Amino acid sequence: MPLLDIQNLSVAFQTRSGVFSAVTDIHLTLDKGEVLGVVGESGSGKSVTMLAMMGLLPWNAQVTADRFSFDDQDMLSMPEKARRRLTGNDIAMIFQEPTTSLNPSFTIGFQIIEALKIHEGGSRRQRRERAIELLDKVGIPAPAKRLGDYPHQLSGGMNQRVMIAMAIACNPRLLIADEPTTALDVTIQAQILDLLLELQQERGMAMILITHDMGVVAEAAERVAVMYAGQLVETGTAGDVFHHPRHPYTGALLNALPERHPGQGRLPTIPGVVPGIEDRPQGCLFNPRCPHVQEDCRQTRPALESDHSTGSSHDVFKKVRCYHPLVAQEQGEVAP
Amino acid sequence: MLTFLLRKLALLVPTFLGVTIITFALVHLIPGDPVAIMAGERGIDPERHAQLLHELGLDRPIWQQYFDFLWRLLHGDLGRSLVTHNSVFDEFLALFPATLELSICAMVFALVLGIPLGVLAGVKRGSIIDHTVMGTALTGYSMPIFWWGLLLIIFFSGVLGWTPVSGRLSSMFWIETPTGFMLIDTLLSKEPGAFVDAIRHLILPSIVLGTIPLAVIARMTRSSILEVLGEDYIRTARAKGLAPFRVIAVHALRNAMIPVTTVIGLQVGVLFAGAILTETIFSWPGVGKWLIDSVSRRDYPSLQGGILLIATLVMLVNLTVDLLYGLINPRIRHNR
Repeated sequence: MPLLDIQNLSVAFQTRSGVFSAVTDIHLTLDKGEVLGVVGESGSGKSVTMLAMMGLLPWNAQVTADRFSFDDQDMLSMPEKARRRLTGNDIAMIFQEPTTSLNPSFTIGFQIIEALKIHEGGSRRQRRERAIELLDKVGIPAPAKRLGDYPHQLSGGMNQRVMIAMAIACNPRLLIADEPTTALDVTIQAQILDLLLELQQERGMAMILITHDMGVVAEAAERVAVMYAGQLVETGTAGDVFHHPRHPYTGALLNALPERHPGQGRLPTIPGVVPGIEDRPQGCLFNPRCPHVQEDCRQTRPALESDHSTGSSHDVFKKVRCYHPLVAQEQGEVAP
Repeated sequence: MLTFLLRKLALLVPTFLGVTIITFALVHLIPGDPVAIMAGERGIDPERHAQLLHELGLDRPIWQQYFDFLWRLLHGDLGRSLVTHNSVFDEFLALFPATLELSICAMVFALVLGIPLGVLAGVKRGSIIDHTVMGTALTGYSMPIFWWGLLLIIFFSGVLGWTPVSGRLSSMFWIETPTGFMLIDTLLSKEPGAFVDAIRHLILPSIVLGTIPLAVIARMTRSSILEVLGEDYIRTARAKGLAPFRVIAVHALRNAMIPVTTVIGLQVGVLFAGAILTETIFSWPGVGKWLIDSVSRRDYPSLQGGILLIATLVMLVNLTVDLLYGLINPRIRHNR
């Protein structure tokens, strides 16, 4: 039984001018201790999906799913209070902007201890000790002294470490990291990523790593889900997706990696932008930007279907949403 | 911190000088002179009139009178009332507790209602609660104090007979007033019923005087809360699994109160201005009523002194608010 099991999840937003669906038809499963990379451009619905898992969407969001369970508990029918006992305790999340994600008016000690207080209890002294231990764990020097510091006194990298300490405070079984390194200096990015992976290994946490950096996914994830305009377009093991991308969008994303074009002047790009929530095209959502578009792509929307053409045929996770998936020769164009 | 304080104090000097010029000019712009007023309807012999003006020093050029006033002020002398011949400062000091007591009660009323209502309106934005609170606030803000006061007196004192019409204490009580604060003095007097009677006298004037600050505070709190609720750290707080009440009361409110504090400080000036009208309506024996009486008697020294003292108080309150800032906003505390 997987730790996280999501079948056919959709999120729609109710607005004055109607209902807009932000993400549709999301299928994700995650086992204990597994790392899943979720990639896609801005606006592809990565964050909305994760916020739905945390129950942090605004009130006008409608979440529906055939199955949405964590540790065999149904998240949709669960009362609000029970849900909050899971949030921050069994499922924790860290965000993109560490500096604005911490409350500027409270010390980092207060903010870490608060999480411990509501989920674990214990004496004041125990909680303090534990907070120091956590700060030490995430690599903050002189942790006891740092407890009384405010977020503005620390650097972005340090703040992200504090966020991580806060997230792992209650030993979550699933950690969702929403572009944890995007806002940081390049030198710090690697450190934070290493720290996350180290903690994930050590604690056997499952982790969902959201990013638009394919390099990060390649380094960290066992499995990959590629999202585009609120849909999954391709899922598979990291090796499979990287070496044998089937969806033209995945192919194009990989093709845009600088390391695949050493010494060349201009990098290939994907023309156009992700369609907004209100102007999604008929047919395949990627068709206006797809180099391999054909007539049927413009008519009906393809479904996410199992794909056994490449890689290990027994991999049930390998799925693609395309009428004309890339074949070996086209994959060769993008693979090194 | 020390340089900040010194800079703020240095800024008080030109402000203070400006206030002396304005009060002096305004007071002398009022038509008529104290001698003519004292003489009353029967009039006075022009020779005697000129002689009295000379005795009071009011026949000299206006700038000489101003510098004379300023010179005595620098020696800590506010002069003596032309009518009672008592020291202006002593008269002010005797009446000020009544005004202060009323102002404090009005402010407490404004804060206790204004902040929760503002938070409620902000959290339930767009709801009936929001529209009701904001509509009422706008009405309250636009309501002229004298009219609002009369309405309340007619309804609660006249029709319902719940509250007394005027004064600070019913004439059936005779108590010592060592502090000048009726609530404290009635408690000290151990006179049965006196304390409750003092409270009953305070209710209507406090509501009347507190209405405008209440409206301003509620509106400011609402917009401030709305802004803060969109911040990343609120999402973080929710991601910890905190109950909605705690997210708002702890994480949002602390940050939302920063701009509200400034507004509260500015309302102190509004409060004193309002006290003049409120005290007149309710025959409240405070500084406001004393100033109105001084205007009609053309008691120049009392007017100048009284206005100057109030202006100084308002300046000091605003300075204190500036300093208090650091207490609720750690970013300011450390940046100085």
